[in-house]
Amino acid sequence: MKHPMRNPWIYTLFTVPTLLLYGLFFLWPMLSSAYYAFTDWNGLENYRFVGWSNFSAAFGDPDFRRAIVNNLIFIGFSVFVQIPLIVLFALLIASVRRLRGFYKTTVFVPSIVSTSVIGILWGFIYEPEVGPLNRLLALFGLGPVYWLAEPKWALPAVLIANAWQWMGFYIVLVLAAILAIPKELNEAAVVDGANGWQRALKITVPLIRPLISVVVMLSIAGGMRVVDIVLVMTKGGPVGATEVMASYMVNEAMGVDPNYGFGTAIALVIFAFALLLTSLYQLTFGRRMEGGEF
Amino acid sequence: MKKRLGVAVLILFVVLSTVLAACGSGKNENATKGSEGSASPSASAPASSGTGGESDGKNAEPFTVSLRHIQIGEAQKFRKAILDDVVKKTEAEVPGLKFELDGVEDQVNRFTKLPAEMAAGNPPKIFDLFGGAGDALKYAKAGRLLDVTPIIQELGISDKFLNLSQFTLDGKVYGLPIGGSTEGFFYSIPLFEKYNIKVPETWEELEAAAETLKQNGITPFAMGSKGAWVPLMIVNTLIGRYAGPEAIDGFPAGTQAWNAPEVTAAFAKYEEWVKKGYFTKGELGLEYADMLNQFVTGKAGMMFDGSWRASVFKDPSQAGELTGKVGFFPMPPVPGGKGDQTYVNGNYSNGYGFSSDLNERELTAVKAFIKNMYNEEMQLRGLLEDGVLPSMKLSGDALGQVEDPLVKQIMETMRKAGGAFSHFDSTVQSEVYKESESQIQKLIAGMATAAEVAEALQKVQQAANAKQ
Repeated sequence: MKHPMRNPWIYTLFTVPTLLLYGLFFLWPMLSSAYYAFTDWNGLENYRFVGWSNFSAAFGDPDFRRAIVNNLIFIGFSVFVQIPLIVLFALLIASVRRLRGFYKTTVFVPSIVSTSVIGILWGFIYEPEVGPLNRLLALFGLGPVYWLAEPKWALPAVLIANAWQWMGFYIVLVLAAILAIPKELNEAAVVDGANGWQRALKITVPLIRPLISVVVMLSIAGGMRVVDIVLVMTKGGPVGATEVMASYMVNEAMGVDPNYGFGTAIALVIFAFALLLTSLYQLTFGRRMEGGEF
Repeated sequence: MKKRLGVAVLILFVVLSTVLAACGSGKNENATKGSEGSASPSASAPASSGTGGESDGKNAEPFTVSLRHIQIGEAQKFRKAILDDVVKKTEAEVPGLKFELDGVEDQVNRFTKLPAEMAAGNPPKIFDLFGGAGDALKYAKAGRLLDVTPIIQELGISDKFLNLSQFTLDGKVYGLPIGGSTEGFFYSIPLFEKYNIKVPETWEELEAAAETLKQNGITPFAMGSKGAWVPLMIVNTLIGRYAGPEAIDGFPAGTQAWNAPEVTAAFAKYEEWVKKGYFTKGELGLEYADMLNQFVTGKAGMMFDGSWRASVFKDPSQAGELTGKVGFFPMPPVPGGKGDQTYVNGNYSNGYGFSSDLNERELTAVKAFIKNMYNEEMQLRGLLEDGVLPSMKLSGDALGQVEDPLVKQIMETMRKAGGAFSHFDSTVQSEVYKESESQIQKLIAGMATAAEVAEALQKVQQAANAKQ
C-alpha cells in the first residue's frame, strides 16, 4: 500500500492511454488497410472479399509494371547521377574560400520551396512555346520539344526537376561532413605532394563514406515514395509515361471509378518494395560502406 | 491502494476525454466559424417572401449549410454571380441561415473530393453534382442523396424540367440540372473570313476547312487533352454520328459493341485527324483552359467545346479581340453514318445534389434554395447573362429576349436537331469511362490504334455489363 508505484497494475494503467492512441492511429489503420486490400471496397457499395485478386490485377496491369520500372528509374537516377553530382558540388563548395555561405544557401533554397511551386516553376521552364529551355534550343535551331507532353521526354523532365529540388539538401549534408574532416589530414597530404584530385578521392571521399551511404539509402527510400512532383507536373501522364507506384495508387484509389480496396493493395505493395530494397541495400553495400559497424 | 487506483482512473478519464475532444474539434471549428460569419445577417434577415419556411422570429438561432460549387475562375464569373444572388435571397428568407460556400475546381470536385466525401458519408449539404451512372445514380443507390421528388412537387416545378433522366432512379429524382448543354464547333469568324472558309455544313466542307487552316499554319482544332474528357467530347459526337444516336445508351445495355465497325470508325476518324496534325501540338501537356487560350489568341481556327463556353466570347476581358466574333455549328453529318444525322449531343447533367443527411432546418434551407435557384427568372438569367441553355421550360417570350448571336445560334442548332443523345460519360459504368480516358490518350500519343482502343473498351464494357 505504501508503494503504489511497485504495483504492476498501476504501470499498466498509465501506459493504457499511449497504447490506446498507438492502437487507434497506427495498429488499427494498418490492420484495417491490410484487410481492405483483399476486398473490392469502393467506399459506397457493399464490398466483397476478393482474395489476392487485387494484387494479381496490379501485377497483371502493364501500367503498374511500368510504374514500378519508373520508380526504379527514379532510384537509379538519384543513386548514379545525383549522388556523384552531389559529392562533386560539395567538394567544390568546400574548396572555395570566398562566398561559401552564399553557395551553401543558394543550393539549399530549392529544398525549402514547396513541391507545388517547383512543379509549376519547371512547368514554365518546359513550356513548349515561350519557355526558356525551348528558346535556348531554338537559338541552336532545334525545334520545339514538348517536354511534358511527349511520352519520351516527360520522365527525364520530371527527373531533372526532382533532382534540382533535392540535391541542395544532400549537398549541404555532405558539405558538413567534409568540413568536419580534420584539416591536419589534408595538410599532411599536401606536404606529401598530393594534388587536389588525389586529396579529394583518396582522403575526403573515403572519410565521408558513412554519410554517402546514408544519402544513398535516403535516395532509395525517396525514389520509392516519390509522388508529389509527378502529380503536380504531369499527374502521371502523358499516357502513364511518368506514372510511379504512388501516383498509380492515387489515380486508382481516387479519381474516376474509385477503388479503395485496390488502392490499399497498391499501398501494401509499395511498402513491401521499400522495405525490401532498403534492407537489401543495408545487407549488401550499406554494411560494407560503413565498415560493418551497422 | 483503492483510492490511488481511483485517482489513476480519474487521470485516465481526463486524458481520454481530452483526446476525444481533440478528435471532434474539426466539427466544432466549422460550427464556430459559421456562427461568427452569420452574426450580422441573421439579425437583419427579413423573411421577404414568406414561403421559405416557418419564420420563428428574427432572432432565430444561427445555423450553417455547406454549399459546394464549381464556379471558380474568370470563365465562371457569371454563374457565380447568379449563385451568389440565390444564396443571398435564400439566406434572407430562412432565419438564421448562413451558407458556407466552398468553391472547388470541377474535376477535383467530381473525381476526387466528392467521391471521397461520399465514401466517408460526409458530403456538403448542397453540392455540385453530375447526373448519370457514374455520379448521381451511383450515390443515389448508396443512399447518400436526398430524394427531391416531394420538394419539386410541393414547389410545383416537377413537370417544368426538360430532362431529369440522368438524375432519376426508380422514378425518384435525386438532383436537379442547372442547365442544358450541347457540344459542337466554335469557330473564329475573322480567321474563316481571312481564308475564305465557308461555315461547314457537310463533312467535306469541315475537312476542307481544317485542311485550309492547316495549310496556312493555323491549328484547325484547338485541343488540350491533359484532361482526357476534353478530346472525348469530340469522340462522343463522332460515335453519335458514325454509330447512330442509340449507340450511346447501347453500350451499357449491351446492344452496342465498342469494337463494332461503326464505333471503330469514329475512333479511326479521330486518329486520322491526330495523324494529319489537325489538333494542337503537344496537346497531351495542355489543360482545358489552354484550349480556350489557343482559340482566343488566334492560334487555332476551331474548337470543339460545350455550349457553356458561349459566355466567354461576349466578355472582352476573356475573349480579347475575338469578342463577339465567334460562331457555332454542329458536327455535320458523316458519310455512311448510321441513324439520324441531325441529332446533336444534349446534356442535362450538371446541377446540384443534396445530402440525404439533413436536419429539419437544413431541409428548410434546401427547399428555399431549390425554390430560388430553379425558377424561370434564374433560368432566364443563366441564359441571358451566361449563355447556359435552360434546363427548365421557358415561355416563348422569355426565350425571345436572347440577343447574343452566339447563344441564338446554339439554340437554333438545338431547335433544328432531330433529337439529342447524351454523353457516354453519363451512361456507361465508371470503369468503362475510366478506360476510355486512358485509351484516348494512348490513341493521341500514337501508342494504340483505333481498333486496339475499341477492342480494349469492349473488353472492359463486357466485364462491367456482366457484373450487373
